[in-house]
Amino acid sequence: MARRLPVWTLVISAFALIIFYLPQLGEMFVYDRAAIIHGEIWRLLSGNLVHFSIAHLLYNLIAWLIIGTIIELNAYRYFPMLIFSSSFLIGISLLLLEPELNLFAGLSGVVSAAVTYLCLYGIGEKGVWRWLCAATLTGLTAKTVIELGTGTSLMLLMSEENFVPVPLSHLVGIITALILFIFLRTTSYLRRFSR
Amino acid sequence: MKRSSTGIFIVLVISLFYAALMSGCASGTTKHATSVVDYLFPKTKDPVVTPGIPVLTLPLRVGIAFVPSAAGSDGRESKTSSGFTPFQGGGDLALTEKRKTDLMQEVAKNFKKYPFVKYIEIIPSAYLTPAGSFANLDQIRTMLELDVIVLLSYDQVQFTDQTLSFTYWTMSGPLVIPAQKNDTHTMLDAVVYDIASRKMLFRAPGTSLVKGKSMLVDQSQELRADGDTGFSEAAQSMIVNLDAQLALFKEKLKERPDEFKVVSRPSYSPSFSLGGGGGRGSVDNFMLLLFIVLGAYFVWNKRRG
Repeated sequence: MARRLPVWTLVISAFALIIFYLPQLGEMFVYDRAAIIHGEIWRLLSGNLVHFSIAHLLYNLIAWLIIGTIIELNAYRYFPMLIFSSSFLIGISLLLLEPELNLFAGLSGVVSAAVTYLCLYGIGEKGVWRWLCAATLTGLTAKTVIELGTGTSLMLLMSEENFVPVPLSHLVGIITALILFIFLRTTSYLRRFSR
Repeated sequence: MKRSSTGIFIVLVISLFYAALMSGCASGTTKHATSVVDYLFPKTKDPVVTPGIPVLTLPLRVGIAFVPSAAGSDGRESKTSSGFTPFQGGGDLALTEKRKTDLMQEVAKNFKKYPFVKYIEIIPSAYLTPAGSFANLDQIRTMLELDVIVLLSYDQVQFTDQTLSFTYWTMSGPLVIPAQKNDTHTMLDAVVYDIASRKMLFRAPGTSLVKGKSMLVDQSQELRADGDTGFSEAAQSMIVNLDAQLALFKEKLKERPDEFKVVSRPSYSPSFSLGGGGGRGSVDNFMLLLFIVLGAYFVWNKRRG
């Protein structure tokens, strides 16, 4: 049996790398509140592919490559839908709920959606993997909620740079994955039931 | 006849008592102040410092500190009191080292939201020598690797007027307790300097007026509390003004490129720095560690078959 290639994971990674090394593209794609309000709505989606520094890019890309590859190798369905819906909802949420945020960039919200999706599937499996997924999901959710409540990053001191974290993007990612997972499970159950 | 002369006597005694109190009415003033001018341009040295053209390397490494007073060689701020009776005391300064750190953290928190700020270092008072001037700033710059410094100074004046009094009627007649009306005027001033070029980039003040009342016994405590409130309010007002001045400074950078040079460190896109209010969605060490564990177990499990 031929090995499956994590196409979507590689495509997104390639886009993030190209945009980072071509600053003109970064300017065109970054989430810029004023530009979005003036009609450049593609920035709602594309802002997730832009990164401000090499450390910012590396952290997000390593996380994305790990999680995206596992999802695609496990052939979990509707991964592209998860990527697009989480990107779009992150952009919309920032626009509506973070009026003081003029610029935003980073893939971590989509990474949060992907890891939540992976862990929700993983919890349904057996053995150590199940417990690892449950622990990861609990840790990620707790950390995001605490960060959202306190308004600061818990790991700020350990990170290379001092930046303004936007935990809302992580929370929206987690919620998007949860909704998609529940929707797919419900429709699958209803289909089986109707048969 | 006897009753009426007794009444006149009592009225006379009470009137004399009030008259004595009125004559004892006093007003006092206490002033606590530090000055950026005294720190940067002390009288003992040549005050002529020619600023160069600032080269702002983005993202900026910023320091924030309260300037020490030039008056005391022991590094304490200058305090002047006048008009107090021996039983009164001018308010002691509410700005302890801890309070200064808290105020600096509030200002730093506001600056951190800007993507063109790499980090903000809070500098304890002990690092700044009185009248240290730019030589002292150069030492701090080398020690803490800073580009720009925010120098904070303050001026707090407390006026105390003994014009009010509380009167209690007791079994033996009226008991009058003298009281004070206190006004606390506070000004905090932030001056942002590019250390290398000795050029002031912009400044922003913050002011506050706290009106309070106290009795003689707890006057000192009340004045300290008013002083503390004054610093908190002035800091909030200064933060708002800092934001406004920063926005104006960004416009100035665009309009006068010959006066300020802006360069960027590798891996920093200066085009993102002009918007302000920037945020990053970033995976941190904790998340990355979780994902690596997850990935490592997945690979190990796959290999095991």
